[in-house]
Amino acid sequence: MTDADPGDGTDRSSVRETYDRIAEHFSQTREHPWPEVREFCESASTPDDSGTALDLGCGNGRHAELLAERVDRVVGVDASTELLRVARDRAVDRGYSDALSLVAGDAARIPLAADSADLGVYVAALHHLPTRESRRASLDDLARVLVPGGRALVSVWAVTHSKFDRESGFDTTVDWTLPGGETVGRFYHVYDLAEFEADCAASALGVERIYESEGNCYAVVTGPA
Amino acid sequence: MKESLMDILCCPLDKQELELEVVRRDEEEILDGRLVCTECDEEYPIEEGIPNLLPPDMREGAPA
Repeated sequence: MTDADPGDGTDRSSVRETYDRIAEHFSQTREHPWPEVREFCESASTPDDSGTALDLGCGNGRHAELLAERVDRVVGVDASTELLRVARDRAVDRGYSDALSLVAGDAARIPLAADSADLGVYVAALHHLPTRESRRASLDDLARVLVPGGRALVSVWAVTHSKFDRESGFDTTVDWTLPGGETVGRFYHVYDLAEFEADCAASALGVERIYESEGNCYAVVTGPA
Repeated sequence: MKESLMDILCCPLDKQELELEVVRRDEEEILDGRLVCTECDEEYPIEEGIPNLLPPDMREGAPA
């Protein structure tokens, strides 16, 4: 881990490029959904278990798989087209590909219409956006896409994670080590809970609950009232 | 991508509707084609069944 060069905040391709490079190996190490996300999905309901769920920053689709049990259609959005290919293969192998639509897109500029998602998860991806401005824009855009009253779970890495053990939020670069030993860096903004709460509260989202668990900050949020 | 997805896809830049141009499809999905914004004319490719709605500054080959 090295301190990141904050740069001018306009480099919007680098995290995508990194995930394109590490997609396959990354996916192998991300097989199981997080218990916090499982709990949220199991508590979530949509009218008649129909409707559309959004998995923003879907990665290999491990959480889209949970959502596919709850709704007719899951839209998985990720900036890495390589990860989306992995997600597609995984969905075919595990039998939920009929319910899953995959779209390459930016979490701060979501390519979905207003009021198009009844339910959402946005797990471990917001922290890759390089500026506070882009992270807040992303939360606002999530609010736009959710139907009024639609719920979503947002998570980010927390400063209390054993990797960091710090007190206030900071920018950093965390290396990913490929099987051959090569390392590839990924930008993170690691949040303290108060800052995460402030960013959620400043957005167009309604905030139902904010908490920390296992080194991550979580927010259960709702679409605009 | 399934054609029904057109109901909710929009241009990431101005959130306007997209027009679908199909190059290749099978019975269920559009495999290759383009999505064109009806407002700003920006073009987004559909490749191997996956629509690429990344804004231009985040696409492959975009300046870092």
